[in-house]
Amino acid sequence: MAVILADLKMTIESNSYIDAMHAVLTRKRWFSFPKPMLAGMTASAFRFTVSRRLTAESPVAYNWIAENFLAADFIGVAAWSGAGFYFDATFPLYKRDAIAQIKGAIDGGIGAILWNNRFVIAAGYDDEREALWISNGEADELVLLPYVDFGRNASPYWYYQVFENRIALDHLEICRESLMQAVHKWETHDPMLPEADYACGRSAYDAILAALHSGDYDRSGISAVIRSYAAAKRDISRYFAALETYWPELRTAVEHYKSLEAAFDEAERLAGSADQQLIPLFAAARQSEEMAIATIKTFMRETIDIRRHDIALR
Amino acid sequence: MPVVRLEQLLMKRESKSYIDSLYAILTAAHLFNGTKHRLAGLTGMAFKFTVHEQLLPLSVTAYGQWINEHRPAIENVGLFTVMDGGRTRHPTFRHYQQKAVQAAKDSLDEGIGAIYWIPEFGVIDGYDDEDRVFFVQDGWSGDRQVVLYDNFGLNFTEFWYCQLFGEKVIVSDEAMLLESLRLAIYDWDTPYKTLPNKDIASGKLAYDFLIHALHKGGYDENGAVYILDSYFHSRKEICAYLREARGIWPELDDASVLYEQLAASIPDMEGSIAETNGRRQIDRSLIEELIGGLTAAQSLEDRAVDLFRAISRAYPDPKRSVVPRWGAHTPK
Repeated sequence: MAVILADLKMTIESNSYIDAMHAVLTRKRWFSFPKPMLAGMTASAFRFTVSRRLTAESPVAYNWIAENFLAADFIGVAAWSGAGFYFDATFPLYKRDAIAQIKGAIDGGIGAILWNNRFVIAAGYDDEREALWISNGEADELVLLPYVDFGRNASPYWYYQVFENRIALDHLEICRESLMQAVHKWETHDPMLPEADYACGRSAYDAILAALHSGDYDRSGISAVIRSYAAAKRDISRYFAALETYWPELRTAVEHYKSLEAAFDEAERLAGSADQQLIPLFAAARQSEEMAIATIKTFMRETIDIRRHDIALR
Repeated sequence: MPVVRLEQLLMKRESKSYIDSLYAILTAAHLFNGTKHRLAGLTGMAFKFTVHEQLLPLSVTAYGQWINEHRPAIENVGLFTVMDGGRTRHPTFRHYQQKAVQAAKDSLDEGIGAIYWIPEFGVIDGYDDEDRVFFVQDGWSGDRQVVLYDNFGLNFTEFWYCQLFGEKVIVSDEAMLLESLRLAIYDWDTPYKTLPNKDIASGKLAYDFLIHALHKGGYDENGAVYILDSYFHSRKEICAYLREARGIWPELDDASVLYEQLAASIPDMEGSIAETNGRRQIDRSLIEELIGGLTAAQSLEDRAVDLFRAISRAYPDPKRSVVPRWGAHTPK
């Protein structure tokens, strides 16, 4: 058997899982808004985690199973996923199942997401060649990933996710929930990550500033980290431009997110060549984001009050 | 309309409900042959010890996010497993429920039972398509309860959970033993398994919660007895598990002796639970003795876990040498 889903192609714009998710969901017509809306509605764009040495893996140092499940769940998409270390004894069993799940999704007319040194999509498979057809956003054409190479990545992780169903949810409720999650991500450390090595949300700015002051950070990593988060802040800024049309009360947040986007664009330009100039930029960016979150908290104060014991818990 | 009953599958409540369920399913399907205490040890489940500050009965099963706790447990016995669960109030629940119903039936068709949160954990050992029901054992009586397909997962708690099993790879005894010690260290060292909540403590801190509540009084009487019963049983399991593992590492032989000492103190502690009017509860006049026993036990376990650490340090630990991309999270 060989199947290729026509017109399923990933484009690197959000520089994250969102690129893969958007490609798969829009082709299936389970999502019809532009990509920044997906980045916001899934709360993905609000994740802001850095390793304290600003290594390039920072933007993907998160709980893929939990967070990518939630990304789908927030927008009413049912998902199934698997992940593990490729050196685990049971990996051969899970790998066989993963390939079967991915092929099953493609047979059902929907692409699958997998980790192949970045989040990519499987757009087809060819049993004769024993390989998946991958769109990775870098190559213009699909590339072959032999079944035997599934999970063999530069880092020891294998991961895939398939989408199974769509449950209609109220659009405004999805957006409101994303605001709750935005506050949560700003204030909460990811329990999967050791705090000595990673910082999240507001604390991520402190970690960046501390690294820039001390000079103890990964010189090539910082550019990749800033490039990735500049894309996320750009998405947030566009997402909020849309939210303002639903809720004019969010206008102040829109202004702050525009400043944030500009600061990150400038940082992206400077990173790697004039790192000391990044210090005032990130100090200002932290302030912009703090004020944007304050606006969200005022807007969402009733829900925040109800969920005070655990604001992320739906 | 097919009817499936796995007659050879019999669950008996002795250990944690999860281990009782797992043992019943795996032995019936010939996926594990060994004692229940060995299964409890290899999976690390025997080491799990969690206590709610008010000694609520839920302490015994609230040892973390189940999927994160059970995955390493099953991985260590080399089994392929599929688990799903979550909160029944979420709008996507119906989809996952219907998928789990089909998957459980498929598994039963293959002759393998499913673990199911009743609550507590129990075993699905059959289904009847005409009545659209599953048959479920809770391990207390030989009777089967029925669960309608349409009510699958719904119960008085807010959680649902279902787990299935598949093929097996062979893992060496020594590798399983070593990993089980590492799972034990993790449980002992992690103070809170259900963050952001801090009302349930794990491992070493669980002892403090238990002792503090007994001192203070005003705790849940039934919960206290259930926590202690489960605790006594699991420490006997660990003792038996480590006794059988002697002769590999000197440190483990020493740890085994410490657990022998702990086990020897259990009958006295058990004596602090008395039956009055058909109801077992802690005899308040013996509470200081009980607290003394628990304090000594905590110290013994702390020393044993340090010996586990010494063994663990002697071998590479790739699973814990990189930050994973799954595991601990705040549920939403």
